[in-house]
Amino acid sequence: MNLEPYIEFARKAFSREATYRIEVFTNIGSVLLRVYLLRSLWTALYRQNAPPADIPLHAMITYATVALMMSLVLEVDGTRMIREKIREGTIATDFMKPISLPAYFFSDGIGATLLQAVLIVPSVLLALFLVHIDVPAPSVLLAFLVSFALGYAVNFLLNFLMNIVAFWTLETFAVQLMIRWASDLLGGQLLPLDFFPGTLGRIVEALPFAAIYSTPLRIYIGELGPAQWFPAMASQAMWIVVFGTAATVFWRVAERRVVVQGG
Amino acid sequence: MPIIQTKNLRKSFRSVKRQTGAAGALRTLFSREFVERVAVDDVSMSLEAGELVGYIGPNGAGKSTTIKMLTGILVPTAGEIEVAGLVPYRERKKNARNIGVVFGQRSQLYWDLPLIESFELLRAIYSVPRDRYAQNLKEFTDILEMDDFMRTPVRQLSLGQRMRGDFAAAMMHDPKIVYLDEPTIGLDVLAKEAIRTFIARINAERGTTVILTTHDLADVERLCRRIVLIDDGKIVYDGPIERIKEQYGTHRTLIVEFSEHYPTVAIEGAEFEERTGDLVRLRFDRKAISADQLIRRVTERYSVSDVSIEEPDLESIIRRIYVDGAVA
Repeated sequence: MNLEPYIEFARKAFSREATYRIEVFTNIGSVLLRVYLLRSLWTALYRQNAPPADIPLHAMITYATVALMMSLVLEVDGTRMIREKIREGTIATDFMKPISLPAYFFSDGIGATLLQAVLIVPSVLLALFLVHIDVPAPSVLLAFLVSFALGYAVNFLLNFLMNIVAFWTLETFAVQLMIRWASDLLGGQLLPLDFFPGTLGRIVEALPFAAIYSTPLRIYIGELGPAQWFPAMASQAMWIVVFGTAATVFWRVAERRVVVQGG
Repeated sequence: MPIIQTKNLRKSFRSVKRQTGAAGALRTLFSREFVERVAVDDVSMSLEAGELVGYIGPNGAGKSTTIKMLTGILVPTAGEIEVAGLVPYRERKKNARNIGVVFGQRSQLYWDLPLIESFELLRAIYSVPRDRYAQNLKEFTDILEMDDFMRTPVRQLSLGQRMRGDFAAAMMHDPKIVYLDEPTIGLDVLAKEAIRTFIARINAERGTTVILTTHDLADVERLCRRIVLIDDGKIVYDGPIERIKEQYGTHRTLIVEFSEHYPTVAIEGAEFEERTGDLVRLRFDRKAISADQLIRRVTERYSVSDVSIEEPDLESIIRRIYVDGAVA
């Protein structure tokens, strides 16, 4: 496959997102406020209650802050454009191009995400002044980044699946909002999954949402030691295969629907 | 060998039959009764490379459906189709390299980015060699006068500028065939002229095959030698424009200005069309009566200060074909 068009798609998405520069500055303020609130919240909670599980306060604050930074990147929904293109009918012209549309959406999403990642750098640096977060050893950091990339793929495929539902229903916003809330709560973005009791905890761990936030975060705070990295990432990879297969099948069906029914 | 060929092409759409009323809506949920709507019916046509053909028909006649099948994004229900040696729906991506498409109603340019960046993206998509790209870019910029707005974000362009950008975008990879779907809709006279000149030039100089669908028959009269007329999914005429004019355009309008006021005007051999004050329009068939004869009849009976004859334009001829269903 010739990669040039897809690199170009990512670059164009990057410059497209960069045209809305005003957001950069409003972002920094809101990120700092959220970091500060998270620290106050967890500090107060720890003071009132016995520390749950085996997570000390500084690890908890680190967890919450890193989770917030991750969410800034993961909430860029590169596949949103699928829904918009379907509704506006412009997807027809994309089908007339010699490209793979899913790869196009993915590279566009990567470009938009990269810009977001660059934009949060100032927020991250400022946040480090505001709260103390632990920075692990380089090898752990590397493992975290790999696991984060896998989580990114799971998140992308999940969004992709949600958005191509628009081929049938045209509107997917409500379903998507529900899935997003579920993934924030059950994926470990709002709080570590250790907080879920007993059986519920085990169920939540087994859900695909855990592969998005929880796994990389647990690697970051050291809850998963080097020996557990591989199985953890293997389970993330499994979800990529599962959703990847589902996405391929649904895409084929959607494509067929377009070419037979005219969209 | 023709570059585009369709044989008995047919496309029908199935949709769930809806019952009326609340009870009917409920029944619709459970019953699977389908209604079939035929959009394109038994269309056979053949285009040689380098032709510039007007594909004309009223809304819903099946024009867009045909174009969609030619681009490969719609699978025919029956019949054969071949574009530049490929079956479009089987090899959509390969076919995509041979074609360029312009839709007057929707742009394929990147909304938020300067025009030039959309062109660069297309260069990458079609892997156009850099020198060829530079050459095309320069030529199109000159013909379409795009210098002034090349670096302007597309969302800030006027409709005329945007359409010029869309045309250049569709031609950047030297397609063998371009489909133009209502390309001049909503444009002012100057922009229309720029676009028409561009179409004529790429057809003449590059030998690009062009299929033009439009409601603006001035486009067709100016550009096409051949037209294909489609109505209700069926081809009702396929041939040179002159022939359709000869065959169906036999009526003329005689415009008479009377020097006195006559409450009613009736002339044998002519049909009263309309009047504004003492200006009366009379329609006649030049095969049944000559203009000379008709004028004599009018002047014998009335006192006349001026007469003129109006030739039918393509639009009125085609309107008659649709309305009367006059088909040879």
